[in-house]
Amino acid sequence: MKSWNPEAVEAMLAAQGIRLAPGRAAKIAAALNAAAVADPLRAALELEADLTGYLLALERCK
Amino acid sequence: MNDPFNAFIHVEKEPLNKGKPGPLSGMPLAHKDMFYRAGKVSNCGSKIRKGWIASETATALERLDAAGALQLGTLNMSEFAYGPTGHNEHWGDCRNPWNPDYITGGSSSGSGAAVAARLVAGALGSDTGGSIRLPAAACGVTGLKTTWGRVSRAGAMPLSHSLDTVGPLAGNAEDCARILQVIAGFDPRDPISSREPVEDYVLRIKDFSRLKIATSTDWITRHAEPEVASAVLAAAKLLGATETEPPDFDTLSAHCITVMSSEASAQHARWMRERPGDYSSAVRVRLEAGYAIPAATYLEALRLRGAWLERFCSRTLADADLYLLPAMVCRVPTREQTGPHGGAGMPQLLAEVTRLTRWVNYLGVPALVLPCGFDANGLPIGLQLVARPFAEATLLRAGHAFQRATDWHRRVPPG
Repeated sequence: MKSWNPEAVEAMLAAQGIRLAPGRAAKIAAALNAAAVADPLRAALELEADLTGYLLALERCK
Repeated sequence: MNDPFNAFIHVEKEPLNKGKPGPLSGMPLAHKDMFYRAGKVSNCGSKIRKGWIASETATALERLDAAGALQLGTLNMSEFAYGPTGHNEHWGDCRNPWNPDYITGGSSSGSGAAVAARLVAGALGSDTGGSIRLPAAACGVTGLKTTWGRVSRAGAMPLSHSLDTVGPLAGNAEDCARILQVIAGFDPRDPISSREPVEDYVLRIKDFSRLKIATSTDWITRHAEPEVASAVLAAAKLLGATETEPPDFDTLSAHCITVMSSEASAQHARWMRERPGDYSSAVRVRLEAGYAIPAATYLEALRLRGAWLERFCSRTLADADLYLLPAMVCRVPTREQTGPHGGAGMPQLLAEVTRLTRWVNYLGVPALVLPCGFDANGLPIGLQLVARPFAEATLLRAGHAFQRATDWHRRVPPG
Protein backbone atom coordinates (compact mmCIF):
# COMPACT_ATOMS: atom_id res chain seq x y z
CA MET A 1 0.00 0.00 0.00
CA LYS A 2 1.31 3.48 -0.85
CA SER A 3 2.17 5.81 2.02
CA TRP A 4 0.41 9.10 2.60
CA ASN A 5 2.48 12.23 2.04
CA PRO A 6 1.83 15.83 3.15
CA GLU A 7 1.15 17.10 -0.37
CA ALA A 8 -1.55 14.50 -0.97
CA VAL A 9 -3.18 15.28 2.38
CA GLU A 10 -3.10 19.02 1.72
CA ALA A 11 -4.64 18.62 -1.73
CA MET A 12 -7.34 16.27 -0.46
CA LEU A 13 -8.39 18.65 2.29
CA ALA A 14 -8.20 21.73 0.09
CA ALA A 15 -10.59 20.05 -2.34
CA GLN A 16 -13.07 19.82 0.53
CA GLY A 17 -12.60 23.45 1.59
CA ILE A 18 -10.56 22.63 4.72
CA ARG A 19 -7.59 24.95 5.37
CA LEU A 20 -4.59 23.50 7.18
CA ALA A 21 -2.07 25.31 9.36
CA PRO A 22 1.56 25.07 8.15
CA GLY A 23 3.15 21.75 9.10
CA ARG A 24 -0.19 20.10 9.91
CA ALA A 25 -0.35 18.05 6.69
CA ALA A 26 2.85 16.21 7.59
CA LYS A 27 1.44 15.26 10.99
CA ILE A 28 -1.82 14.02 9.47
CA ALA A 29 0.07 12.00 6.86
CA ALA A 30 2.15 10.38 9.59
CA ALA A 31 -0.97 9.59 11.65
CA LEU A 32 -2.72 8.04 8.63
CA ASN A 33 0.32 5.91 7.83
CA ALA A 34 0.52 4.76 11.45
CA ALA A 35 -3.17 3.86 11.46
CA ALA A 36 -3.03 1.71 8.31
CA VAL A 37 -3.52 -1.95 9.25
CA ALA A 38 -3.39 -5.21 7.33
CA ASP A 39 -6.78 -6.67 8.20
CA PRO A 40 -6.74 -10.49 7.99
CA LEU A 41 -10.48 -10.63 7.20
CA ARG A 42 -10.24 -8.26 4.26
CA ALA A 43 -9.17 -10.96 1.80
CA ALA A 44 -12.24 -13.04 2.61
CA LEU A 45 -14.74 -10.21 2.25
CA GLU A 46 -17.42 -11.30 -0.23
CA LEU A 47 -18.71 -9.01 -2.98
CA GLU A 48 -22.16 -9.23 -1.37
CA ALA A 49 -20.96 -8.02 2.05
CA ASP A 50 -22.45 -4.62 2.82
CA LEU A 51 -23.16 -2.44 5.83
CA THR A 52 -26.39 -4.25 6.70
CA GLY A 53 -24.36 -7.41 7.38
CA TYR A 54 -23.48 -5.86 10.73
CA LEU A 55 -27.14 -5.61 11.75
CA LEU A 56 -27.64 -9.28 10.93
CA ALA A 57 -24.50 -10.17 12.92
CA LEU A 58 -25.88 -8.25 15.93
CA GLU A 59 -28.97 -10.47 15.76
CA ARG A 60 -27.00 -13.70 15.32
CA CYS A 61 -24.56 -12.93 18.15
CA LYS A 62 -27.10 -12.11 20.85
CA MET B 1 -22.51 23.43 45.57
CA ASN B 2 -18.85 22.94 46.44
CA ASP B 3 -17.25 21.68 43.22
CA PRO B 4 -13.44 21.98 43.33
CA PHE B 5 -13.18 19.52 40.43
CA ASN B 6 -14.85 21.70 37.79
CA ALA B 7 -17.27 18.84 37.24
CA PHE B 8 -20.38 21.00 36.90
CA ILE B 9 -21.04 23.46 34.07
CA HIS B 10 -24.47 24.53 35.35
CA VAL B 11 -26.25 23.89 38.65
CA GLU B 12 -30.03 24.29 38.77
CA LYS B 13 -31.26 26.69 41.48
CA GLU B 14 -33.78 24.03 42.44
CA PRO B 15 -33.35 20.41 41.31
CA LEU B 16 -35.84 19.47 38.62
CA ASN B 17 -38.47 16.82 39.50
CA LYS B 18 -38.31 17.41 43.26
CA GLY B 19 -40.92 15.25 45.01
CA LYS B 20 -41.93 13.45 41.82
CA PRO B 21 -42.76 9.76 42.38
CA GLY B 22 -41.22 6.97 40.32
CA PRO B 23 -38.62 4.22 40.39
CA LEU B 24 -35.77 6.77 40.62
CA SER B 25 -37.63 9.23 42.86
CA GLY B 26 -35.17 11.43 44.75
CA MET B 27 -32.07 9.98 43.05
CA PRO B 28 -29.75 12.97 42.44
CA LEU B 29 -28.43 12.96 38.89
CA ALA B 30 -26.68 15.37 36.54
CA HIS B 31 -25.65 14.78 32.94
CA LYS B 32 -22.93 15.43 30.42
CA ASP B 33 -23.57 18.83 28.81
CA MET B 34 -24.65 17.28 25.50
CA PHE B 35 -28.04 15.87 26.46
CA TYR B 36 -30.47 18.49 25.24
CA ARG B 37 -33.33 19.87 27.33
CA ALA B 38 -35.82 22.15 25.57
CA GLY B 39 -35.27 25.77 26.60
CA LYS B 40 -31.97 25.02 28.37
CA VAL B 41 -28.38 25.58 27.30
CA SER B 42 -26.21 22.70 25.99
CA ASN B 43 -22.66 23.92 25.40
CA CYS B 44 -21.31 20.52 24.32
CA GLY B 45 -17.97 21.41 25.93
CA SER B 46 -17.29 23.84 23.11
CA LYS B 47 -16.83 27.50 22.26
CA ILE B 48 -18.89 27.08 19.09
CA ARG B 49 -22.01 25.96 20.95
CA LYS B 50 -21.53 28.19 23.99
CA GLY B 51 -24.95 29.39 25.12
CA TRP B 52 -26.83 27.34 22.52
CA ILE B 53 -30.40 26.67 23.64
CA ALA B 54 -31.93 23.32 22.74
CA SER B 55 -35.40 23.11 21.25
CA GLU B 56 -35.96 19.44 22.11
CA THR B 57 -35.37 17.21 25.13
CA ALA B 58 -33.28 14.07 24.87
CA THR B 59 -35.34 10.89 25.14
CA ALA B 60 -33.02 9.60 27.88
CA LEU B 61 -33.71 12.75 29.94
CA GLU B 62 -37.46 12.50 29.35
CA ARG B 63 -37.40 8.93 30.63
CA LEU B 64 -35.36 9.86 33.71
CA ASP B 65 -37.75 12.76 34.38
CA ALA B 66 -40.73 10.41 34.15
CA ALA B 67 -39.01 8.06 36.61
CA GLY B 68 -38.74 10.86 39.17
CA ALA B 69 -34.95 11.30 39.12
CA LEU B 70 -33.73 14.63 40.48
CA GLN B 71 -31.86 16.62 37.84
CA LEU B 72 -29.17 18.79 39.43
CA GLY B 73 -27.55 20.34 36.34
CA THR B 74 -25.11 19.79 33.51
CA LEU B 75 -21.59 18.37 33.66
CA ASN B 76 -18.24 19.18 32.09
CA MET B 77 -17.05 17.16 29.09
CA SER B 78 -14.37 17.11 26.43
CA GLU B 79 -15.03 19.50 23.54
CA PHE B 80 -17.73 17.91 21.35
CA ALA B 81 -17.03 14.60 23.17
CA TYR B 82 -13.90 14.26 21.05
CA GLY B 83 -11.10 13.68 23.55
CA PRO B 84 -10.16 10.84 25.94
CA THR B 85 -8.62 12.76 28.85
CA GLY B 86 -10.99 15.41 30.22
CA HIS B 87 -8.91 18.40 29.12
CA ASN B 88 -11.01 21.33 27.97
CA GLU B 89 -9.48 24.67 27.02
CA HIS B 90 -12.87 26.42 26.70
CA TRP B 91 -14.46 25.38 30.01
CA GLY B 92 -11.43 24.36 32.02
CA ASP B 93 -10.06 20.90 32.65
CA CYS B 94 -12.09 18.61 34.84
CA ARG B 95 -10.08 17.48 37.91
CA ASN B 96 -9.84 13.95 39.23
CA PRO B 97 -11.24 13.82 42.79
CA TRP B 98 -8.55 11.29 43.75
CA ASN B 99 -5.85 13.78 42.83
CA PRO B 100 -6.51 16.95 40.80
CA ASP B 101 -3.17 16.67 38.97
CA TYR B 102 -4.38 13.52 37.20
CA ILE B 103 -6.82 13.18 34.31
CA THR B 104 -10.45 12.29 34.87
CA GLY B 105 -10.60 10.50 31.55
CA GLY B 106 -12.99 11.69 28.86
CA SER B 107 -15.03 12.56 27.23
CA SER B 108 -17.64 12.18 30.03
CA SER B 109 -15.17 13.81 32.42
CA GLY B 110 -17.66 15.66 34.63
CA SER B 111 -19.83 12.54 34.89
CA GLY B 112 -16.89 10.50 36.24
CA ALA B 113 -15.70 13.23 38.61
CA ALA B 114 -19.15 14.15 39.96
CA VAL B 115 -20.00 10.53 40.75
CA ALA B 116 -16.58 9.88 42.31
CA ALA B 117 -16.87 13.00 44.48
CA ARG B 118 -20.38 11.92 45.57
CA LEU B 119 -21.85 15.15 44.18
CA VAL B 120 -24.44 12.99 42.39
CA ALA B 121 -25.55 9.36 42.61
CA GLY B 122 -25.35 8.86 38.88
CA ALA B 123 -24.88 10.59 35.54
CA LEU B 124 -25.46 9.99 31.87
CA GLY B 125 -22.44 9.82 29.59
CA SER B 126 -21.86 8.95 25.97
CA ASP B 127 -19.34 6.43 24.67
CA THR B 128 -18.04 6.51 21.08
CA GLY B 129 -14.49 5.25 21.71
CA GLY B 130 -14.34 4.85 25.50
CA SER B 131 -15.94 8.06 26.78
CA ILE B 132 -17.93 6.41 29.59
CA ARG B 133 -15.41 3.71 30.46
CA LEU B 134 -12.28 5.89 30.63
CA PRO B 135 -13.77 8.35 33.18
CA ALA B 136 -15.20 5.40 35.12
CA ALA B 137 -11.74 3.80 35.23
CA ALA B 138 -9.78 6.97 36.07
CA CYS B 139 -12.28 8.17 38.70
CA GLY B 140 -12.96 4.77 40.29
CA VAL B 141 -16.69 4.57 39.52
CA THR B 142 -18.87 2.12 37.60
CA GLY B 143 -19.67 2.91 33.97
CA LEU B 144 -21.72 1.00 31.43
CA LYS B 145 -21.18 1.31 27.68
CA THR B 146 -24.39 -0.06 26.20
CA THR B 147 -24.93 -2.06 23.04
CA TRP B 148 -25.19 0.16 19.96
CA GLY B 149 -28.96 0.85 19.71
CA ARG B 150 -29.90 -0.20 23.26
CA VAL B 151 -30.45 3.41 24.47
CA SER B 152 -31.92 6.16 22.30
CA ARG B 153 -29.52 8.89 21.17
CA ALA B 154 -32.37 11.23 20.21
CA GLY B 155 -31.64 14.70 21.56
CA ALA B 156 -28.02 13.85 22.37
CA MET B 157 -25.19 15.56 20.50
CA PRO B 158 -23.91 13.27 17.73
CA LEU B 159 -20.26 12.49 17.16
CA SER B 160 -20.18 9.28 15.10
CA HIS B 161 -23.57 7.74 14.36
CA SER B 162 -22.24 4.21 13.77
CA LEU B 163 -20.51 4.16 17.15
CA ASP B 164 -22.31 6.56 19.51
CA THR B 165 -23.92 5.03 22.59
CA VAL B 166 -25.52 6.45 25.74
CA GLY B 167 -25.13 4.91 29.19
CA PRO B 168 -24.89 5.51 32.94
CA LEU B 169 -22.04 6.13 35.35
CA ALA B 170 -22.81 5.51 39.02
CA GLY B 171 -21.27 4.40 42.28
CA ASN B 172 -21.99 0.74 41.66
CA ALA B 173 -23.45 -1.76 39.21
CA GLU B 174 -26.79 -1.80 41.00
CA ASP B 175 -27.36 1.92 40.44
CA CYS B 176 -26.25 1.53 36.81
CA ALA B 177 -28.93 -1.17 36.48
CA ARG B 178 -31.59 1.14 37.98
CA ILE B 179 -30.74 3.91 35.53
CA LEU B 180 -30.46 1.61 32.51
CA GLN B 181 -33.85 0.09 33.37
CA VAL B 182 -35.41 3.48 32.79
CA ILE B 183 -33.51 4.69 29.71
CA ALA B 184 -33.23 1.47 27.64
CA GLY B 185 -35.63 0.55 24.87
CA PHE B 186 -36.89 1.43 21.43
CA ASP B 187 -37.53 5.07 20.58
CA PRO B 188 -39.17 6.13 17.32
CA ARG B 189 -37.12 9.35 17.49
CA ASP B 190 -33.91 7.33 17.06
CA PRO B 191 -34.33 5.01 14.05
CA ILE B 192 -31.30 2.89 14.99
CA SER B 193 -32.64 2.19 18.49
CA SER B 194 -33.37 -1.51 18.87
CA ARG B 195 -36.71 -3.25 19.35
CA GLU B 196 -34.94 -5.95 21.38
CA PRO B 197 -37.01 -6.42 24.58
CA VAL B 198 -35.61 -4.70 27.68
CA GLU B 199 -34.70 -7.17 30.41
CA ASP B 200 -35.42 -6.62 34.09
CA TYR B 201 -31.88 -5.53 34.95
CA VAL B 202 -32.68 -4.70 38.57
CA LEU B 203 -34.01 -8.21 39.14
CA ARG B 204 -31.38 -9.98 37.04
CA ILE B 205 -28.39 -8.60 38.99
CA LYS B 206 -29.59 -10.59 41.99
CA ASP B 207 -29.14 -13.86 40.08
CA PHE B 208 -25.97 -15.28 41.59
CA SER B 209 -25.67 -18.38 39.42
CA ARG B 210 -22.16 -18.76 38.10
CA LEU B 211 -21.12 -16.87 34.99
CA LYS B 212 -18.39 -18.05 32.63
CA ILE B 213 -15.72 -15.39 32.33
CA ALA B 214 -12.68 -15.59 30.06
CA THR B 215 -9.50 -13.57 29.94
CA SER B 216 -6.10 -13.53 28.20
CA THR B 217 -3.54 -13.59 31.00
CA ASP B 218 -0.51 -13.71 28.75
CA TRP B 219 -1.59 -10.67 26.73
CA ILE B 220 -2.36 -8.67 29.88
CA THR B 221 0.96 -9.60 31.47
CA ARG B 222 2.89 -8.59 28.35
CA HIS B 223 1.09 -5.35 27.54
CA ALA B 224 -0.28 -3.79 30.75
CA GLU B 225 1.78 -1.96 33.34
CA PRO B 226 2.60 -4.35 36.21
CA GLU B 227 0.32 -2.69 38.78
CA VAL B 228 -2.58 -2.74 36.32
CA ALA B 229 -1.96 -6.36 35.33
CA SER B 230 -1.70 -7.44 38.96
CA ALA B 231 -5.02 -5.83 40.00
CA VAL B 232 -6.91 -7.03 36.91
CA LEU B 233 -5.60 -10.58 37.13
CA ALA B 234 -6.49 -10.69 40.84
CA ALA B 235 -10.05 -9.77 39.81
CA ALA B 236 -9.94 -12.47 37.12
CA LYS B 237 -8.96 -15.03 39.74
CA LEU B 238 -11.74 -13.91 42.08
CA LEU B 239 -14.27 -14.29 39.25
CA GLY B 240 -12.89 -17.70 38.24
CA ALA B 241 -11.86 -16.61 34.75
CA THR B 242 -10.58 -19.15 32.24
CA GLU B 243 -8.23 -18.49 29.32
CA THR B 244 -9.21 -17.47 25.80
CA GLU B 245 -7.77 -16.01 22.61
CA PRO B 246 -7.59 -12.17 22.77
CA PRO B 247 -9.33 -10.15 20.07
CA ASP B 248 -7.12 -8.35 17.56
CA PHE B 249 -7.33 -5.11 19.55
CA ASP B 250 -5.15 -3.04 17.26
CA THR B 251 -6.90 -3.91 14.00
CA LEU B 252 -10.33 -3.33 15.55
CA SER B 253 -9.16 -0.03 17.07
CA ALA B 254 -7.83 1.12 13.71
CA HIS B 255 -11.24 0.42 12.13
CA CYS B 256 -12.91 2.29 14.98
CA ILE B 257 -10.69 5.31 14.32
CA THR B 258 -11.45 5.15 10.59
CA VAL B 259 -15.21 5.13 11.21
CA MET B 260 -15.14 7.68 14.03
CA SER B 261 -12.85 10.12 12.19
CA SER B 262 -14.81 9.93 8.94
CA GLU B 263 -18.19 10.44 10.59
CA ALA B 264 -17.08 13.10 13.09
CA SER B 265 -15.37 15.13 10.38
CA ALA B 266 -18.45 14.91 8.14
CA GLN B 267 -20.61 16.01 11.09
CA HIS B 268 -18.38 19.05 11.71
CA ALA B 269 -17.67 19.94 8.07
CA ARG B 270 -19.59 23.21 8.02
CA TRP B 271 -17.94 24.64 11.12
CA MET B 272 -14.53 23.32 10.04
CA ARG B 273 -14.89 25.35 6.83
CA GLU B 274 -16.42 28.45 8.39
CA ARG B 275 -14.81 28.78 11.84
CA PRO B 276 -11.94 26.32 12.32
CA GLY B 277 -10.24 28.73 14.74
CA ASP B 278 -13.04 28.23 17.26
CA TYR B 279 -12.03 24.61 17.91
CA SER B 280 -9.23 23.79 20.32
CA SER B 281 -6.10 22.78 18.52
CA ALA B 282 -6.37 19.15 19.74
CA VAL B 283 -9.91 18.70 18.41
CA ARG B 284 -9.15 20.56 15.18
CA VAL B 285 -6.24 18.20 14.46
CA ARG B 286 -8.45 15.16 15.05
CA LEU B 287 -11.16 16.53 12.78
CA GLU B 288 -8.70 17.48 10.03
CA ALA B 289 -7.43 13.91 9.85
CA GLY B 290 -10.92 12.65 9.04
CA TYR B 291 -11.06 14.54 5.73
CA ALA B 292 -8.10 12.54 4.41
CA ILE B 293 -9.76 9.15 4.85
CA PRO B 294 -11.00 7.83 1.50
CA ALA B 295 -14.70 6.93 1.35
CA ALA B 296 -13.82 3.39 0.24
CA THR B 297 -11.64 2.87 3.33
CA TYR B 298 -14.46 4.06 5.58
CA LEU B 299 -17.03 1.84 3.90
CA GLU B 300 -14.73 -1.17 3.91
CA ALA B 301 -14.28 -0.78 7.68
CA LEU B 302 -18.07 -0.86 8.05
CA ARG B 303 -18.43 -3.85 5.66
CA LEU B 304 -15.94 -5.79 7.82
CA ARG B 305 -17.74 -5.00 11.07
CA GLY B 306 -20.17 -7.92 11.04
CA ALA B 307 -17.44 -10.47 10.36
CA TRP B 308 -15.35 -9.14 13.25
CA LEU B 309 -18.32 -9.24 15.61
CA GLU B 310 -19.02 -12.86 14.70
CA ARG B 311 -15.36 -13.74 15.17
CA PHE B 312 -15.29 -12.15 18.66
CA CYS B 313 -18.40 -14.03 19.75
CA SER B 314 -17.39 -17.37 18.24
CA ARG B 315 -13.72 -17.32 19.29
CA THR B 316 -13.03 -15.04 22.25
CA LEU B 317 -16.43 -15.73 23.83
CA ALA B 318 -16.66 -19.32 22.52
CA ASP B 319 -17.00 -20.86 25.99
CA ALA B 320 -17.73 -17.76 28.02
CA ASP B 321 -20.40 -15.19 28.80
CA LEU B 322 -17.96 -12.33 29.35
CA TYR B 323 -14.44 -11.27 28.39
CA LEU B 324 -12.30 -9.67 31.11
CA LEU B 325 -9.46 -7.19 30.53
CA PRO B 326 -8.15 -3.87 31.87
CA ALA B 327 -9.89 -0.63 30.94
CA MET B 328 -6.47 0.93 30.29
CA VAL B 329 -3.10 -0.79 29.85
CA CYS B 330 -1.41 2.10 31.70
CA ARG B 331 -1.94 3.73 35.07
CA VAL B 332 -3.96 6.96 35.12
CA PRO B 333 -1.62 9.64 33.67
CA THR B 334 -1.34 13.24 34.80
CA ARG B 335 -3.03 16.17 33.09
CA GLU B 336 0.41 17.58 32.32
CA GLN B 337 1.59 14.38 30.58
CA THR B 338 -1.48 14.24 28.33
CA GLY B 339 -2.17 17.96 27.83
CA PRO B 340 -1.07 20.51 25.22
CA HIS B 341 2.44 20.58 26.71
CA GLY B 342 2.75 16.82 27.11
CA GLY B 343 5.79 16.62 24.86
CA ALA B 344 7.01 13.97 22.48
CA GLY B 345 5.67 11.03 24.51
CA MET B 346 2.11 12.36 24.58
CA PRO B 347 0.71 10.66 21.43
CA GLN B 348 1.99 7.27 22.58
CA LEU B 349 0.52 7.76 26.05
CA LEU B 350 -2.87 8.72 24.60
CA ALA B 351 -2.73 5.60 22.42
CA GLU B 352 -2.17 3.51 25.55
CA VAL B 353 -5.09 5.18 27.34
CA THR B 354 -7.50 4.25 24.52
CA ARG B 355 -5.97 0.98 23.35
CA LEU B 356 -8.53 -1.28 25.07
CA THR B 357 -11.74 0.71 24.65
CA ARG B 358 -12.16 1.55 20.95
CA TRP B 359 -12.35 -2.05 19.75
CA VAL B 360 -15.54 -2.47 21.81
CA ASN B 361 -17.22 0.44 19.99
CA TYR B 362 -16.27 -0.98 16.61
CA LEU B 363 -17.96 -4.27 17.53
CA GLY B 364 -20.91 -2.38 19.07
CA VAL B 365 -21.05 -4.69 22.10
CA PRO B 366 -21.70 -3.66 25.71
CA ALA B 367 -18.97 -3.28 28.34
CA LEU B 368 -18.84 -2.49 32.05
CA VAL B 369 -15.93 -0.78 33.80
CA LEU B 370 -15.56 -0.85 37.58
CA PRO B 371 -12.72 -0.30 40.07
CA CYS B 372 -10.53 -3.27 40.99
CA GLY B 373 -7.65 -1.65 42.87
CA PHE B 374 -5.48 1.42 43.27
CA ASP B 375 -1.99 2.19 41.98
CA ALA B 376 0.97 3.54 43.94
CA ASN B 377 -0.12 7.10 43.09
CA GLY B 378 -3.45 6.48 44.79
CA LEU B 379 -5.39 6.49 41.50
CA PRO B 380 -7.98 3.81 40.69
CA ILE B 381 -7.39 0.86 38.36
CA GLY B 382 -10.31 -0.09 36.12
CA LEU B 383 -11.52 -3.59 35.30
CA GLN B 384 -13.42 -4.02 32.02
CA LEU B 385 -15.95 -6.75 31.22
CA VAL B 386 -17.25 -7.16 27.66
CA ALA B 387 -20.34 -9.13 26.61
CA ARG B 388 -22.34 -10.22 23.58
CA PRO B 389 -24.82 -7.75 22.02
CA PHE B 390 -27.70 -6.85 24.38
CA ALA B 391 -26.19 -8.82 27.29
CA GLU B 392 -26.18 -5.80 29.62
CA ALA B 393 -27.94 -7.87 32.32
CA THR B 394 -25.09 -10.38 32.30
CA LEU B 395 -22.52 -7.60 32.67
CA LEU B 396 -24.40 -5.96 35.53
CA ARG B 397 -24.81 -9.33 37.26
CA ALA B 398 -21.06 -9.93 37.13
CA GLY B 399 -20.33 -6.38 38.27
CA HIS B 400 -22.76 -6.68 41.18
CA ALA B 401 -21.29 -10.04 42.22
CA PHE B 402 -17.76 -8.58 42.09
CA GLN B 403 -18.84 -5.58 44.17
CA ARG B 404 -20.44 -7.83 46.79
CA ALA B 405 -17.10 -9.59 47.15
CA THR B 406 -14.88 -6.46 47.14
CA ASP B 407 -14.96 -2.92 48.51
CA TRP B 408 -13.04 -0.95 45.85
CA HIS B 409 -16.23 0.84 44.79
CA ARG B 410 -16.94 1.96 48.36
CA ARG B 411 -13.69 3.89 48.74
CA VAL B 412 -14.11 7.65 48.79
CA PRO B 413 -11.61 10.21 47.43
CA PRO B 414 -9.70 12.22 50.04
CA GLY B 415 -11.20 15.44 51.38
